[in-house]
Amino acid sequence: MRIDRALLVFHKDWLEVRRNWQVVLPVTIVPLLFSVFIPAVFFFAASTGGSSSGFGQLIGALPPEVQAVLAGMTASQVMVYVMVVYFFAPFFLIIPLMASSVIASDSFAGEKERKTIEGLLATPLSDSELMLGKILVSFVPSMGVTLLAFTAYSIVTDVLGYGLFRRLIMPNLNWLVLILGVAPLVALAAIGLTVMISARVKGFREAQQISVVLILPILGLLFAQVSGLLVLGPVVMLELMAVFAVVDLVLFRLGLSLFGREEILSQGG
Amino acid sequence: MSTLEARGLVKRFGPQTAVDGLSFSVGEGEIFGILGPNGSGKTTTVRMLSCLISPSGGDATVGGHDIKAEPLRVREIVGVLTENPSLYERLTARENLDFFARAYGLTDQTQREARIREVLEFFDLWGRRGDKVGTYSKGMKQKLAIARAIVHSPPILFLDEPTSGLDPEAQRDIRELMERLSRQERHTILLCTHNLEDAERLCTHVMIIAKGQSIVTGTTGDLRRRIAGKPKLEVRLVSVNERLVKAVEKVGKVEASEGRIVVDLEDLEGGTPEVVKKVVSAGGQVKSVSLLEPSLEDAYLKLIREAGA
Repeated sequence: MRIDRALLVFHKDWLEVRRNWQVVLPVTIVPLLFSVFIPAVFFFAASTGGSSSGFGQLIGALPPEVQAVLAGMTASQVMVYVMVVYFFAPFFLIIPLMASSVIASDSFAGEKERKTIEGLLATPLSDSELMLGKILVSFVPSMGVTLLAFTAYSIVTDVLGYGLFRRLIMPNLNWLVLILGVAPLVALAAIGLTVMISARVKGFREAQQISVVLILPILGLLFAQVSGLLVLGPVVMLELMAVFAVVDLVLFRLGLSLFGREEILSQGG
Repeated sequence: MSTLEARGLVKRFGPQTAVDGLSFSVGEGEIFGILGPNGSGKTTTVRMLSCLISPSGGDATVGGHDIKAEPLRVREIVGVLTENPSLYERLTARENLDFFARAYGLTDQTQREARIREVLEFFDLWGRRGDKVGTYSKGMKQKLAIARAIVHSPPILFLDEPTSGLDPEAQRDIRELMERLSRQERHTILLCTHNLEDAERLCTHVMIIAKGQSIVTGTTGDLRRRIAGKPKLEVRLVSVNERLVKAVEKVGKVEASEGRIVVDLEDLEGGTPEVVKKVVSAGGQVKSVSLLEPSLEDAYLKLIREAGA
């Protein structure tokens, strides 16, 4: 396999992807919403003295190590801190998941839908060069968007929260592990699953709709954290990384076995 | 020596046999036509030869490379015009050709840019090189798809319906290009077409297929004579009447229509003066006398009807 040839596929797909509003729109709007709009709403709610009566029960259910961090904070500080620093963390995984699955659907299934796949498969590019180029074009922009959104989220949180906390609350170690460790593995899992789905469906939308199933484990994480079942601390995140690494491996092995010229053409290419 | 040789190629999709034991060979610089109705196996044959799908049986060599053992080598030396233009509509014509030229190994930028300009100018697309392909007409897309197939100057070309969707002028340009590539530059071309005019004008040999099987292979002239029969005599007249037809029927079998009779003669050369004599003595006013050569279309239609395709 030659990396320069995989990069050729990456460059071609990147040109295509960035000119496709069906891809650009969700990949821009969702991170913008998560990194700017939602933290602004949290701070607005806290500044207007939003009710924190029900929140007390929620805090009570949190593990002692989290409660230790919250000790000495005012009610408004606790409300904002828990929401912005703890509860919102798993939500943020939706960004790499959604972005990589939307781009991968366009790159793999979209090529079949637009009937461009046969010309591409007729080139002397090997299956592994094609596959790597397409994985890169799904992974690199989605991680770029995730990092940008994380940076924006940290800036918005610190700017809006400085008056309340008199210190910077973002980023912390948990978030750095989440963004640099868990998010790439989540993005790869989304790509692996989309590759598998794309090999069996005829169009971009179909692939995207089925990939939505990936959001379920993220929601599971969110509810586990809110109910106090687990806290996304460094140890839990390392465990999560190990789980996702295994999932990635399995999905990519299955995806690679389905990514053959004949299989792609016979499935409506 | 054959540039392309297929020996008993078979392709099955589940219980269906799309290609059933095709064998043929194409020499260097030849244009070989595969003719057949929709679903006869033309595209599947091209897909096997360009290593997009593997045969269920038989084997083939392309440019001396085995399609099963050396698929990457085969793809490097082949240019393929697929059934669909297979162009990236969000990219410009230049970006499309640049990608494919690099994918086919044209790594030198100066050389690549010169070649892209050459092919785009040939197809009158240079002025639109910066426009997205999505804004192109069907004919322009077809021209660009052919440009993509030849951008790396492959010695072997597989062209699936190259003139489809083109206006008469562009069709003529493509035919001239194929002739030039074959006769002057010794490119070998496998042409799949419904367009019998293309086949008749361009192909050195043709193979007619139906239901995945070869019905007949030969030169176009050969097929015309062998299948559609020998030439007939056509006499154009001011008017045709029954008396005149009866008089000519003594010499040969007559098909009459308005202002024209076509006579099937055993001995064309010897019988022609006799036909003219009979026509004139029956009061016919002759406008012209000419030979009516059977067309490849006649041969094709006859064979396809017989094959029940």
